[in-house]
Amino acid sequence: MVDALVEIHRVLAPGGILVDARPDSRVPAYVERRKPRGFQRFGVVNTSRLELVNDRASDQAITRVVREGLFKRRRSGRFWHRVPFSDLAELRRYLWEHLRFVHRAEWVVDVATRRRHAKDQFVIRRAVRYELLEALRSPRKLSPA
Amino acid sequence: MGSVAKDSAGDFGRHVPALSSALRPHPDDELREWGGSRLVRGKRVLDLGCGDGRLALGVARFATRVEGIDPDPEAIAAAKRNARKAGVRNVHFAAGAAQHLPYPDAAFDLVILSWTL
Repeated sequence: MVDALVEIHRVLAPGGILVDARPDSRVPAYVERRKPRGFQRFGVVNTSRLELVNDRASDQAITRVVREGLFKRRRSGRFWHRVPFSDLAELRRYLWEHLRFVHRAEWVVDVATRRRHAKDQFVIRRAVRYELLEALRSPRKLSPA
Repeated sequence: MGSVAKDSAGDFGRHVPALSSALRPHPDDELREWGGSRLVRGKRVLDLGCGDGRLALGVARFATRVEGIDPDPEAIAAAKRNARKAGVRNVHFAAGAAQHLPYPDAAFDLVILSWTL
């Protein structure tokens, strides 16, 4: 990852901006049922262990190139994004097939409630974080990892 | 995955094929969060890990030119198809790796790593 960031720094003009945006695994995602007005929380979905490791490695790579003077942190933030599903069965299939999340939600409603609303529309609401980094003109040479 | 719909809450019911980009925020939504079109306007942009061109094509109307690169040749083929379909002319896609970018030094004003790093 650091190799890629060094290469990005090479192709960026001095003062150019790198945008790093990715799912925010530091907070859980939520299963929500769509209501006529708003959403009802049905469960929590955690990020898979492998993705947590990958995200930490990405964070460390960014920290390193900042520390080494290739980039300067300019601005960061987080927003929420809803992935919609036709019904609960489709959402469950998605969780089963998708690698980012653990395969089963932790439900906060009982079985009867889930069955009653199984044909309703659902979403997974998840956080996306982003950071803008400015390419600096004269980086120091990267030290060994 | 069946018929996972397009990504924002307002797109309920508009179902699209299960491409990974269908699970991600709309490019306009992402760009707005990052600071709006001024971040891209008149800039030379590289979308690294561009996939099927979702974001590259989404920002192309603001940018001077956009390069999209992805290690997956099939994704690049899809991106080229999407560009042709959208009639976008200032975007170029190529297969390649982030560690060896086929561009000269200081070729871009903005590099986007969207769900890539």
